[in-house]
Amino acid sequence: MPCKHVIGHGPELVRALAAWRSIAPAAALELRPLEIDPAAGQAALVAALDGLEDPDGEGASAFVALDARFLNGMRLDLMASLRLRGIAMPALVEPGALVAAGVRMDDNCWIGAGAIIQHGSRIGFNTVIGAGAIVGSGVTVGHSAWIDEGVVIGRGARIGAQVTLGLGVIVGHGRQIGKLCIVDKAGRIEQDIAARTFIHATHAQPIVIIGA
Amino acid sequence: MRSRMPPQAYIDEAWFTRERELLFKPLWQFIGLKVMLDKHNAFITRTLSGIPVVVQNFHGELRAFENICPHRQNPIQVQPHGVRPLFCGYHGWSFDREGATRIPHEDALYRFPPEERACIHLRRFALEVVGNLVFVCLAGTPLPIKQQFGAAMLASLTASSLAYDSEVIMTTYEGHFNWKLAYENLRDGHHPRYLHARSLYQDVKFEASISEEGVAGLRRLQEAGIADRSRALGLMRSFSGGGRDAPMAAPPDEPYHAHVERYRDQDWYYNWLAFPNLHIASANGGHAFIIEHHIPVAAGRTDLVVYYLTAKKKQPYASSAAVLHAHMMGTDVVMREDIEVMEQIQRTLHPGARSPHLGDYEFINASLELWYLDLMEGKFAL
Repeated sequence: MPCKHVIGHGPELVRALAAWRSIAPAAALELRPLEIDPAAGQAALVAALDGLEDPDGEGASAFVALDARFLNGMRLDLMASLRLRGIAMPALVEPGALVAAGVRMDDNCWIGAGAIIQHGSRIGFNTVIGAGAIVGSGVTVGHSAWIDEGVVIGRGARIGAQVTLGLGVIVGHGRQIGKLCIVDKAGRIEQDIAARTFIHATHAQPIVIIGA
Repeated sequence: MRSRMPPQAYIDEAWFTRERELLFKPLWQFIGLKVMLDKHNAFITRTLSGIPVVVQNFHGELRAFENICPHRQNPIQVQPHGVRPLFCGYHGWSFDREGATRIPHEDALYRFPPEERACIHLRRFALEVVGNLVFVCLAGTPLPIKQQFGAAMLASLTASSLAYDSEVIMTTYEGHFNWKLAYENLRDGHHPRYLHARSLYQDVKFEASISEEGVAGLRRLQEAGIADRSRALGLMRSFSGGGRDAPMAAPPDEPYHAHVERYRDQDWYYNWLAFPNLHIASANGGHAFIIEHHIPVAAGRTDLVVYYLTAKKKQPYASSAAVLHAHMMGTDVVMREDIEVMEQIQRTLHPGARSPHLGDYEFINASLELWYLDLMEGKFAL
């Protein structure tokens, strides 16, 4: 029987296991959860994956379920480590999600229940689209983004890699949000946002990174 | 000891206006980091003492000007930082490194008389670069910067700031408190064990103590007063200083430390206080630095501009933005603890409020307020 390694932490791991189980019954897919400690450090995280290099030859696959911490970098690192091991990492589309035909979704994407991905959109690898989110037509979402539950992205918008959009965010049609941004303040975005800009509800003014 | 500081020094707008003239305008004020101005046409804008200032890079040379177009008073640079020529978007006037003006359609539309045309240029301010720190002075005849900070402090600021990386994260907190509460708080080594008991004090065990020499100096100052400007400047220099402050509870150990050229090699909390309103610290033994610039906006309003950067990267690494963001959010906890208490104090102050009582461990703040009140009472001028 094929098996799926589900690697992650906390509520995301629990949710991912439940979602995969809802797609495939226990008789059809064996789930092998691996809880990692995000505070353990990069070396320990990668070491935790030891033993996954040589799956049973029964069509093993993997899925990484981790939140947006470290600008989504921790989920990206884990996914990259698994990719290097040659394990397939198909996207997870939860029951009830509506994904238009022709939408391209790459490895380790996670489309939550009730999310709507409209025609002509592209979702980069390792990106999480939360339950009930709406992604308009012709939208591009870069890799390793985190689109929270209920977020709305207007048609033609461009969302950069490793972007986090928090609860209550609405991205206007055609707007661009540069890579590594966080918008965690409810409201409608009608201006483009430069890469490495962090808009938090807790801060009166944006946090920005300048230089390299 | 009983403080002489009246509540008006913190809440009265007329006092605040006089303070700008007597204290801030004659002094060198921090405006930004040289690493933010590292290319032609890079600029920073800030409002210092109510005056909009732009620092602009002209082919590697930094110049400071009043950020007001002489035509219709439109700000020339609108953003807080960026890369753009010194060019007013309202009617297309542009400015060179001398502040001289190029006016499109000048003959056809303006026809300024020669004597008026000769006066049309930007007001320029003095600028000094100390390592990676850029200061401006709004006075027509600036005080030599060494007289404000002293040679040792300038050397320490230079050496430490040259360790800064060129990737900087920054934001501004809009504080509802008087700026002096910030410098008093920063020179009070006793508050971290209470106010920051669950944050900063976990990593660094600050121990306040009484310096008998410092207290004796304060007593002499209280008896003899500040005799002249030279003594006043000397005393002012004693309000700035920096270097090792307190040992760290445990050696710093974060994965990114391997990627940066650490400033020195000691597991200490470093602290620099540059009077009047700049604070720099390294809470992890020289691997990263926080810069806090307290910009007075009104008697009860202070913008706290916070920069965070690591020591220079040995080479670029993928997670550097995440490292900076994580540090900024970690620092946010301590910042809010300080801001909250300063805003609480500000809210309690009223014209009839009684003066505070200072302990002997607060001899620096006591000296500072004595100096400050003499300045405000016109006993000396900067």
